[in-house]
Amino acid sequence: MSKLELKNISKRFDGKSVLKDVSLVVNEGEMISLLGPSGCGKTTTLKIIAGLVEPDSGDILLDGESILDVPVEKRGTVIVFQDYLLFPHMTVEENIGFGLKMAKVDKAKRVKRVREMIDLVQLTGHEKKYPGELSGGQKQRVAVARALAVEPRVLLLDEPFSNLDARLRESMREFVCDLQRKLGITTILVTHDREEALMTSNKVAVMLEGSIEQFGTPEQIYKKPASLDIANFFGEKNYIEGTIENGMFKCKIGKFKANHNISSKVKAMIRPEEVELFPKSADTGVLGKVKRKKFAGDRIYYTILVNDTEIRCITKSEKDFKIGETVAAKIDFGNVVFF
Amino acid sequence: MYKWLKPYVLLLPAMMVILGIFIFGLAMGLIQSFGYFPVVGLNKITLKYYREVLTDKTFLSSLGFSFYISLISSIMSVVIGVLLAYSIVQSESKKGIEKVIYKLPIIVPHAVAALLVYNILSQSGILARILYSFGIIGDQSEFPSLIFDKKGIGVILAYIWKAIPFTTMVVYTVLSNINDRLLEVALNLGADRRQVFWYVLLPLIMPSIFSCFIIIFAFSFGAFEVPYLLGPTSPKALPVKAYIEYNNPDLTHRPYSMVINMSLTFISVILVWLYHKSFKLISRYDG
Repeated sequence: MSKLELKNISKRFDGKSVLKDVSLVVNEGEMISLLGPSGCGKTTTLKIIAGLVEPDSGDILLDGESILDVPVEKRGTVIVFQDYLLFPHMTVEENIGFGLKMAKVDKAKRVKRVREMIDLVQLTGHEKKYPGELSGGQKQRVAVARALAVEPRVLLLDEPFSNLDARLRESMREFVCDLQRKLGITTILVTHDREEALMTSNKVAVMLEGSIEQFGTPEQIYKKPASLDIANFFGEKNYIEGTIENGMFKCKIGKFKANHNISSKVKAMIRPEEVELFPKSADTGVLGKVKRKKFAGDRIYYTILVNDTEIRCITKSEKDFKIGETVAAKIDFGNVVFF
Repeated sequence: MYKWLKPYVLLLPAMMVILGIFIFGLAMGLIQSFGYFPVVGLNKITLKYYREVLTDKTFLSSLGFSFYISLISSIMSVVIGVLLAYSIVQSESKKGIEKVIYKLPIIVPHAVAALLVYNILSQSGILARILYSFGIIGDQSEFPSLIFDKKGIGVILAYIWKAIPFTTMVVYTVLSNINDRLLEVALNLGADRRQVFWYVLLPLIMPSIFSCFIIIFAFSFGAFEVPYLLGPTSPKALPVKAYIEYNNPDLTHRPYSMVINMSLTFISVILVWLYHKSFKLISRYDG
């Protein structure tokens, strides 16, 4: 277990700035997510931590000591790549034992450790198989076991579940999180999957265009996004412009009590799940007409027109309204974020 | 209707020529090696010629010599070729020049390569003259005998000169296609550069190296012109011995020549089988 600190890391490729002053602290045994869209610099950050890419400026501290001059093979910061990258000419046990063999670990100890890892990732019976004979989930587990076998100081997971199908992804995610908690390894997970980041990590660093825009707990990131860009990254939202006066938010769709004291022109961010729909007769919220409706199994996505303003909302599929029907939309202004 | 026949029919003209010549030639050689050559009055099928040839000391020393020059030239070509290919892959800047230069010997025929080696390395060759002009040797006889020598150095050098570019070309192509990220993974797991080469790169290119080795070995084992031009008088390389036997004015000697040819064919078949086996290794990795 180690504490990892990134201090003002910057990197340019072909004159283009890929990382801008990235700073981050990952405490011992913590699992954090680097969340952001493709091409925002997440993988470059991991490669810099691992020593596979050199930063142009900044420093990386592991337990308080700079590791910038430590060669990649001696850093102890091991990456599990998105596409597993198992050695095709080695069996499962050879792949898992690779790092130990390179470190010239005594054969008996190596065999024992490999055995433990195989048990840990539940691959007993597959020891002699080649990567070509394994399923995606099994390959992923071998890649994780191979990384864990060398007892890394920091485990770096580069979108490790993105190549798996939905069901397998979920079970592998749980599996890796359980392992991380059990072994207490300081871990950084790179992902572009918002749900994955929120579900798996102690903290989430949202990365946009080479900068960390917000770093906080999943709740903080989700409930109090620091900017519109971050809010947008977390999915479709309703934005309603208006003004706050005397604790009341006044906008085109009505006047609502606002949990915000500063009098100013604001933009209210309302998440679709914070809008509840009722039949017109319920006599609550604001009245609007159902404009669009998308059935998604356990949920229904509605677009409601309230005073020429479109409001998107998500309801359980039991709340079935027809297009054109007048409904009452109740907005939970307690969770609304004002920008 | 008869759609399955179409490819065979279309292939027939080419296959008639290829297989016709090959199978007919092989069958004739095999029959003659058993002593059946009615044109010269040999009508009895016998193992006599096999017995005589396979126990003949000159045949055995020729067989040994052919094995020796093929083995040494194949090993050296493969080792140097692999190192050269690796160095080209590593050196990004000079890739353009290196990629052209190393391929040049491929287009030079073996006979020309033999003459080049002769002109450079014989006791009256360029190298001996340069050493003489610098006063390093006082007489051409002081220059080591590299051509027509019993160790087959000239033959081996000619084969190496021709085969290194071939190995380099094959291995370079395979090396270039190996996912660079596998090397990153190896480094990331604690391997140093030397270990990356030995434990990751080398095993991955090994099937290609083995294929190259077999091809070079088979060629140098069966080729005639280089040992004929540069080889020693004794022992002769097996193909040279077969050629001399074949040219014997006494046609009743023909079965001896054919036994030698059949021995060469038998060894070549084994090599083809090994070559085929090496591809199974590749498919195992590909999964």
